[in-house]
Amino acid sequence: MESVLSDRLRQTGWDTAPRARAAPVAMKVVVAGGFAVGKTTFVGAISEIDPLRTEAQITVESLGIDNVGLVEHKTGTTVAMDFGRITIASDMVLYLFGTPGQDRFWFMWDELARGSIGGVVLVDTRRLEDCFPAVDYFEALDVPFVVACNLFDGVATHHPREVREALRVPANTPVVLCDARRKSHVQETLVLLVEGALRRAQARAGR
Amino acid sequence: MTLEPRPPEPGPSPRVVRPYVLTQGRTKAPESTYGLEAQVRALVPPTQLDRAATPEARRIVELCQRATSVAEVAARMTLPLGVARVLVGDLVAVGALAVDVGSPDAATDVALLERLLDGIRAL
Repeated sequence: MESVLSDRLRQTGWDTAPRARAAPVAMKVVVAGGFAVGKTTFVGAISEIDPLRTEAQITVESLGIDNVGLVEHKTGTTVAMDFGRITIASDMVLYLFGTPGQDRFWFMWDELARGSIGGVVLVDTRRLEDCFPAVDYFEALDVPFVVACNLFDGVATHHPREVREALRVPANTPVVLCDARRKSHVQETLVLLVEGALRRAQARAGR
Repeated sequence: MTLEPRPPEPGPSPRVVRPYVLTQGRTKAPESTYGLEAQVRALVPPTQLDRAATPEARRIVELCQRATSVAEVAARMTLPLGVARVLVGDLVAVGALAVDVGSPDAATDVALLERLLDGIRAL
C-alpha cells in the first residue's frame, strides 16, 4: 500500500526531503461560553478567514436498562467546533477555537485546551450561569483565562465588578466588557489573555 | 489510503460514500493523534502523487502546499476530524506530507508569548 506511492516518488526522482521551510509555530486560544453567547462572532471579528467549522463524530456510550438486559448502547453524534486563524508572522499562527455548544462534550474541551495558551470565557450577563462550566473548567485546568462580558446590542447590562463578584473568579483573572462584533474589543481581550499567560510564564522561568 | 488502481473518475463528483469508508473503517491515525492546530504541509506537489491516489488524497496534498492546520484540512475537505487525521496519517506514511505537531511547551514559552503579544497588538 505504502510502497506504491513511495516507489513512484522514487522513480520520478522526487526528493521527499522537506522542501518547504519549517511549518510555523501554531499557538491556540480556546473561546468558551454557553450556547449562542457569541463565540463564533468573537472568532470571526478578528480571524483573517471566515470562521471554519470542523466536526468530530463521536460515540456516546450509555448503559441501557430499557433493553434486553444491560446493553451498552452506542450512539453516534456530531460535535461541531468553529475556529479562525490569525497569521502573526511568517513563522507564527494563532488559532482561535470555539468550544462545542454543548457543555457535555468535555473530552472535546480537553482536546481543544491541550497545548493552548488559555481561554476566553464569553458571558451573556442575562444568562450568567451558562458560563459557570467554562469558568470551572479553566480554573481546574489552571490555565490563564479572561472573562469577557459580551455587549449584546452594544449595551452593558452589568458592571464587570458585579460579574466578578458573581463568578468569584481569581483576582488575577481579568473581567472585561467586550462587544464580540468589534475587532478592537476582541483584540484587547486577547491582549489581556496573552499578557496573563506571559506573566505566568515569566514567573515560572524565574525572571 | 486506497492505492489500488481504480477506474478513472470524470472530474469531481459528490461524495456518495460514508466518510469512514474513505479510511477503510479505521478511526485512528497511525501516529499519535495530531492536535487540531498541528501543521500539515506537503512534501510533494499533487502532480507527483500516484495516479491511483484517491481524489481526497490529492486534494489534501493540494491544500497543504502551504502549511495548514489539521482542523483546517478537515473543515475544507468537509470531512470529520477523525477521517481527516487518518488520511493525513496515510499521506505522511508514504512521504507525501509532513506534520509538525509543535512543541507542547510553546504555550508557556516566554519568547514566543512576547512575540505573540506584539503581533496581536499590531493587528
